[in-house]
Amino acid sequence: MNGENASSAETGTIDLNGVKSSSSTAVDLTDQIHQLPCCIKYTGPSPVSHYFKPKSTGVEVDGLSVKEAHFRGRKLQGTTFSLPDGYSGFVIGRKKAAKRKASDSNGGMTASWQTNAKFQNITLWNHDNLPSKEDAFLRAFHWFDVAKALHKPVTVDDMESASNPGATPTD
Amino acid sequence: MGSDGELPEWASTPCIMGIDEAGRGPVLGPMVYGCLYCPISYKKTLSTLEFADSKTLKEEKREELFESLKTDATIGWAVDVIDPRVLSAKMLQKNKINLNEISHESAMGLVKRVLDMGYLLTEVYVDTVGDADKYRIKLTERFPSIKFVVAKKADSLYPVVSGASIVAKVTRDRALQNWNFDETSEDMHRNFGSGYPGDPNTKSWLEQHKHSVFGFPSLVRFSWGTCDSYFKGGVEVLWEADEADDDEGSSRKTSKRQSKLSNLGFTGMKRKSEDIESSGKGRCKFFQSRKLEQLSDF
Repeated sequence: MNGENASSAETGTIDLNGVKSSSSTAVDLTDQIHQLPCCIKYTGPSPVSHYFKPKSTGVEVDGLSVKEAHFRGRKLQGTTFSLPDGYSGFVIGRKKAAKRKASDSNGGMTASWQTNAKFQNITLWNHDNLPSKEDAFLRAFHWFDVAKALHKPVTVDDMESASNPGATPTD
Repeated sequence: MGSDGELPEWASTPCIMGIDEAGRGPVLGPMVYGCLYCPISYKKTLSTLEFADSKTLKEEKREELFESLKTDATIGWAVDVIDPRVLSAKMLQKNKINLNEISHESAMGLVKRVLDMGYLLTEVYVDTVGDADKYRIKLTERFPSIKFVVAKKADSLYPVVSGASIVAKVTRDRALQNWNFDETSEDMHRNFGSGYPGDPNTKSWLEQHKHSVFGFPSLVRFSWGTCDSYFKGGVEVLWEADEADDDEGSSRKTSKRQSKLSNLGFTGMKRKSEDIESSGKGRCKFFQSRKLEQLSDF
């Protein structure tokens, strides 16, 4: 995601544009990304849509509509929210790594990543608790505003309105 | 559920009620609480109706008795069907509720429901769950106007409880037979057997329907210890709720049957909260409280 630039010693590249140029490889996972309140020690394909069946409850909390689902006998309550305008979620994968067995080749340190899929929303699930705007995951998005305030280049307009606080902003 | 519509005249005369459960032990399907009630004056007639502990009756006989009691205008009945998903969820939630508590709440829910409909319950007979005396005290505190008789094997001692056991058992059997799977995976079938862990049909059904990631279809009570053996080699799942549990030590009274699925087949696994989520450790509060961690290497 947007935001921080890692100041790591090695350099790596993440190709977020690759999607656009060869749109056939870009899978849209909007409505299919779930953040679960547990750690599933497995990486790989799974018949999620056959077993994981979110249902809407009709309940609203903080303007978030609550969904319900079960996973391994636990009741989960969640909500789907859109990523802020101008942001997208990406599922990235190592570019060249010999298919699937990336784990045993720790040699090549210069990481090169490509976008495998994109998404515009996430469904966030809590165990037992109703979702709320106070959930850390949702609050994490506050960073976008902070980052913008800190890093956005100052424009001439900004300077003018700052020196002339009485003026009405022109959009 | 049960006798809907207008209240019969006898509702305002002193009534007795029996409460019994079906499907407490099985590893799959709903647990059903059933009750049967009638005026005290009908007690004698009741004992001529061939009600007996539902377990001693053949299925056809139970069905037949259920159909006939449904048409008896001097008998009322009601059921509480507790979905296996609800059982699992309650027994595995952060503040775990054990099966005895769930059972007590269900029975009390039935008493309340019938009272609220306007029946004058004065005596209620209950098959015990846990310690009979403690259970009776709990019931009496909740419903001071009712005399409770709590006994072991009440279903074979009191015809009104036998009747309730038929209501419960038939409802449970039908619920299982007509179960609609939430899951849409192929190769699923309904030869569950009785649902009791020792039943060969149940065993093979469980074996055929286990899934390394999802565990089982939600028909199965994940909180049952029986599930353990089916999960050897399955994918491990770590939950925050279990972490808290470990920190407290196992001071809580949990029934032996209850076990955490995440533990199954993975003895002695150390769990670290870092496995579950980022902490924002070492960063300013803004990031900590939002669990934002700086990641430069992945």
